[in-house]
Amino acid sequence: MTGSLVFLPLFIKATGTTIWLSWLALLIGAVGGFLIALLRTSRLWPLRVIALLYTEAFRSVPILIVLFFAYFGVPVMLGFDVSPFVAATFALALHASANMSEVVRAGIESVGRGQWEAALASGMRMREVMRHIVAPQALRVILPPSVGVYITVLKESSLASIIGYFELTRTGLLVRETQGGGFGPLLALAAIYFLLSYGISLCGAALERHYAIGGATTSTDAVVGGMA
Amino acid sequence: MSDAPILELADVVKRFGSRTILDGISLSVAPREIVCIVGPSGTGKSTLLRCVNGLEDIQGGEIRFEQTRVEARAKSIKAVRMRIGMIFQQFNLYPHLTALQNVMLAPVVVHGEDRKIVEERARALFEKVRLSPRINAYPAQLSGGEQQRVAIARALAANPHLLMFDEATSALDPETVGDVLAVMRDLAVEGRTMLVVTHEIRFAADVGTRMVFMDQGKIVEDANPREMLAHPKTERARQFFSSIRG
Amino acid sequence: MNYTFTLRTVFPYLGGLVAAAEMTLTLSVLAILISLVIGAAVAVMRRSRLRVVRFAGAAYVEVMRNTPLLVTLYIVYFAAPAIGIRLSSFTAALLGLSLNAAGYMAEIIRAGLIAVPGGQFEAATAQGMTMGQMFRHIIFPQVFRTIYAPLGNQFIAVILASSLASAVAVEEVTSWMETVGANSFRFFETFVVAAVVYVVLCQTINLARLQIGRMLFRQPEARR
Repeated sequence: MTGSLVFLPLFIKATGTTIWLSWLALLIGAVGGFLIALLRTSRLWPLRVIALLYTEAFRSVPILIVLFFAYFGVPVMLGFDVSPFVAATFALALHASANMSEVVRAGIESVGRGQWEAALASGMRMREVMRHIVAPQALRVILPPSVGVYITVLKESSLASIIGYFELTRTGLLVRETQGGGFGPLLALAAIYFLLSYGISLCGAALERHYAIGGATTSTDAVVGGMA
Repeated sequence: MSDAPILELADVVKRFGSRTILDGISLSVAPREIVCIVGPSGTGKSTLLRCVNGLEDIQGGEIRFEQTRVEARAKSIKAVRMRIGMIFQQFNLYPHLTALQNVMLAPVVVHGEDRKIVEERARALFEKVRLSPRINAYPAQLSGGEQQRVAIARALAANPHLLMFDEATSALDPETVGDVLAVMRDLAVEGRTMLVVTHEIRFAADVGTRMVFMDQGKIVEDANPREMLAHPKTERARQFFSSIRG
Repeated sequence: MNYTFTLRTVFPYLGGLVAAAEMTLTLSVLAILISLVIGAAVAVMRRSRLRVVRFAGAAYVEVMRNTPLLVTLYIVYFAAPAIGIRLSSFTAALLGLSLNAAGYMAEIIRAGLIAVPGGQFEAATAQGMTMGQMFRHIIFPQVFRTIYAPLGNQFIAVILASSLASAVAVEEVTSWMETVGANSFRFFETFVVAAVVYVVLCQTINLARLQIGRMLFRQPEARR
């Protein structure tokens, strides 16, 4: 077991890679999800339908086939190479945007009609209502389940190992091979993921308590769902 | 009062951790008696009922119901529970069953009676609690008073030898309390044996054959209701009655 | 861009797709059933009077929900031979998927149990019901009602998650896409076909759930 310590720097570096990949995907997914949520709550029904199809599609298709398509399919189709990193970021972000859009939509809808009406009646424009009235209230509802979305992205980022990207899982598998089998490195992997994910979920729970207003609780699992 | 007692409590002690809830309760109930238990909240009145049918175990003393020793964890407890009907403050109707199904369940499942016979009896019971039109409603569709009357019918369906009411009207809207009390009055007139924990002092005085005043886990007074109300023997009882008359 | 979308190119592989779809479905249905059993046990553990048992239940849930399924699969797949058990790809994938899904299932069932008010247990006990009678007539119908909808979501989640079984060499829909795509270089077509299979599976379950739910729970919810 002492020999395993040699691999510690490798694991630390790989953990950094996993965090970087998952954060980037979350960030892009959050922007995308926000835009889709705006479409979902739009007054024009074709926009609402498009947004709904987008979310439903990505929630009924496994991310792994999106990943395969991005990595193997896009180069063949469009004639340029896609690195494992780009493919993984792209696939993770697509999936995250579908999940985020549901979270953001729940946030926007949690702000009652009365708030809109009161603000519009006082002469504010749509954009001003969004910025001064809806956003601050919606943020409290959005923030806690976003943590759930991130945890999903973090765990899903392990799939990047399948297309050969050297993040945490791939590194664990490599270490296992150099050691000639055994599952010590795999347990180490599980432990690192657990510490990251559980730590973040504890922060999320604290956030939820912090933002709990008058019995308004949000159900993270119901919105985010999914196993990874 | 020459009948043998149906229920006997001898020096019953109930503790939750280090807190003593019942502190040496002795009480004997004869058939057809209507014993109303009154007293400040938190003095163990409800716990007393719950010990009688073994929903709580006891740490000292003995409870006997129709000669059977009541032990919460013994096999014999089932036979005791089958002969005692209990009505809860929060009704506790089964939300996934209709009113009729609520009443029929235990006789069919626990007592193993024939479904047809039970249904006939259940319909008669709905007549008695004046709820025949609501027989197929689900609990969520009934008002509190209606739910409580279904709960009474449910308790009666098993032909119990003793009925226990645990603050049956405390969770009700004022306008539906009367309906439930009227049904309880009918049962009293029929000669049922009843153990009633209540805050309705007027009901206790009118209908009860005995009033038991409890305070801090002890029975402080035990007398005829009118007598106790007119001449409470202890200072504590005097204070309690004057406080609730407001 | 000289790539033309021609579905005909994947026609020769459709026979394999049927078998692959059957594999995805078999894997998912079995995983749901097994995870239901494990999840129920864990949910009951979390209500135990013994602190150690409660902790063990909670720990199981947290570990499963906070580690990637892929890592669980690898651990099962590689660990079994190391302790002298030979598992086929299918068995390893099924076990890993079930163990992971059980973590989520336990929470669903726990929520269902919490939703049954304490008064229900008391009323049933006071009526002289045995544990078995109480479970069958009072607890199960009420828990089932609460967990019915999340159970459907979980089923869909398991179908999507079963795609990871391709990583331990189970020949289901995702691995069909990967192999056929690699052999024919028609990744776009295989992607579309695989995606359609998953969407059809998921939406069928969704619709069936709604329809069956309407049949099962016809009683009105509203207070008059």
